[in-house]
Amino acid sequence: MFNLIYYELFKTYAKWRTYIGFIAVAVIIPLVMWGMKVEGGRFIQYQMRTLQNDFFITGNLFNGWIIAQLIMNSLWVHVPFLISLVAGDQLAGEATAGTFRLILIRPVSRTSILNSKYVTTLLYTVSLVCAIAALSVGLGLLIFGSGDLLAIDRDMLAILPEAQLWSRFALAYGLAILAMWVVASLAFLFSSFVENAIGPIIATMAVVIGLLIISNLPVESFESVKPYLFTTYQNVWQQAFKNPIDWGNIGKSSSVLVSYSIGFWLVTLFVFRRKDILS
Amino acid sequence: MSQEIVLRTTNLGKRYKNRWAVEDVNLEIHRGDVFGFLGPNGAGKSTTIRMILSLIKPTTGSVELFGHRLETEREKALAKVAGIVEKPDFYLYLSAFRNMEIAGALTLGRAPGKKRIMDSMALVGLQDRADDRVKTYSHGMKQRLGIAQALLCNPDLIVLDEPTNGLDPQGMKEVRELIAQLSHEHGITVFLSSHLLNEVEQVATRMAIINKGKLVVQGSVEELLLSRAKRIILNVEPQKKALAVLKKLKRVENPTLDSTGIIANVETKDIPDVVVRLVAAKCRVFSVKPQRSLEEYFLSVTEVE
Ligand SMILES: Nc1ncnc2c1ncn2[C@@H]1O[C@H](COP(=O)(O)OP(=O)(O)O)[C@@H](O)[C@H]1O
Ligand SMILES: [Mg+2]
Repeated sequence: MFNLIYYELFKTYAKWRTYIGFIAVAVIIPLVMWGMKVEGGRFIQYQMRTLQNDFFITGNLFNGWIIAQLIMNSLWVHVPFLISLVAGDQLAGEATAGTFRLILIRPVSRTSILNSKYVTTLLYTVSLVCAIAALSVGLGLLIFGSGDLLAIDRDMLAILPEAQLWSRFALAYGLAILAMWVVASLAFLFSSFVENAIGPIIATMAVVIGLLIISNLPVESFESVKPYLFTTYQNVWQQAFKNPIDWGNIGKSSSVLVSYSIGFWLVTLFVFRRKDILS
Repeated sequence: MSQEIVLRTTNLGKRYKNRWAVEDVNLEIHRGDVFGFLGPNGAGKSTTIRMILSLIKPTTGSVELFGHRLETEREKALAKVAGIVEKPDFYLYLSAFRNMEIAGALTLGRAPGKKRIMDSMALVGLQDRADDRVKTYSHGMKQRLGIAQALLCNPDLIVLDEPTNGLDPQGMKEVRELIAQLSHEHGITVFLSSHLLNEVEQVATRMAIINKGKLVVQGSVEELLLSRAKRIILNVEPQKKALAVLKKLKRVENPTLDSTGIIANVETKDIPDVVVRLVAAKCRVFSVKPQRSLEEYFLSVTEVE
């Protein structure tokens, strides 16, 4: 199995499309920060000035942490897109290239091959989220300095002390990985149906955006389906910035996300084991 | 015959929607055979090969390799099998060496050593291009890399789907020679499909013909092609005189004049005598060609397509 994962990782990381995500992150995050430095500061500082009239606030609230938290909003749509680029290609890409005929005639079960590809997809997802984390926190602290985090929770304002922030952000990115794992699993599932990677990418994005809208629209008739959509739980990373942290909510959301991921993986396994390789 | 059966298919069939692409195919390939699987385009050769190599699931029947059921003992069944289905495809963005390494690791369960890979590549003359991306390879080179990849893990059985398809005559000749070499020097059993009768005739020891998904005949090439060669076409001058000579010979049946020459039924073993008689009668024999029932049959099948 180790062997299989090694070669799947090798194949994935030898492909140009795998780096699109990292390049996008490496270009966009510094760009956002530069924009913040030049422009955005004024807006946030204005808000803070009104606050400073009412409260006694010390230190620098327009710091690297708030920027990093702001960048986490890319987890809604942008990062899922980058993940689907790679996850959607895992199986469909082999079909397109005809290389299933090279690897599936070997004395290795399809289950092992599929699992090694799934593990590879997850490792890619983890590596992309970690890259985002490292770059947004690292560069953020470097450019904007450290300080307490001003967290806005509905109408409430909370100041999270600087000392807690490393662990809170670690929790947030950990939960973000769970949220992105579902997206990766979904794209991976779609990838097993077709012979071209474009289909899974579009289908994944359509499902993610469509369900996200349903999950977040305050429409009465959607309320009954919301608990069943994985998108309803994808914002779980925001729980890391609540005060106090609602561990019950995190536990529930995480288990729903993990269940969906495992469910998608099992369906993929079922489909792939029976699939006729006609490419 | 007490020979080991390396590959056996039992009532193998595949249905797409409501059409049978392959129906009730029973094949037996013995160790040491070069088995030709002959059929016109669309006959079901690739579908059968895909079932043998576990790429598609049979609708009916089963495949047994080295005595192991493919369905239930996949690892054991495929351990000593290699193959190329339709055209050989590779990871174009990786070097040929890496492709070989990946293919080999899947069969062996560990990375094949560098020397082993280079030896296989040398066998098909690609050792100098090992580090180039497969993207830069020509069709013929990919075909050779496909064979190198198949040989890498010392298989006992190689399954090749139309290995000479799309090659120029020189390339076809090389592949045929390579197949003969695999069989004679390496003792590998070869199962190859083809739509060319003369190709099967040249390289195979045993053969089967498939048409419209069904097996038509199966047997040794000699038995099927040569011993049935009772009917011959003679190109002789002068024709009238030759015909008269032939009519007097007991071993010649029904000699008749035809647009292609004189046609007669003669046992293969009697052909030299017949020629001697004609020469003695001062006829000039330009050619004696066996007209084989199988060839006639196969051509009639092919022409319908
Ligand atoms: N995926 C498919 N769906 C439907 N019919 C198919 C499919 N693949 C092959 N066929 C049909 O099965 C028959 C056999 O095809 P194939 O095995 O490729 O023939 P060959 O390799 O002998 O040329 C053909 O009639 C072909 O049209
Ligand atoms: Mg074919």
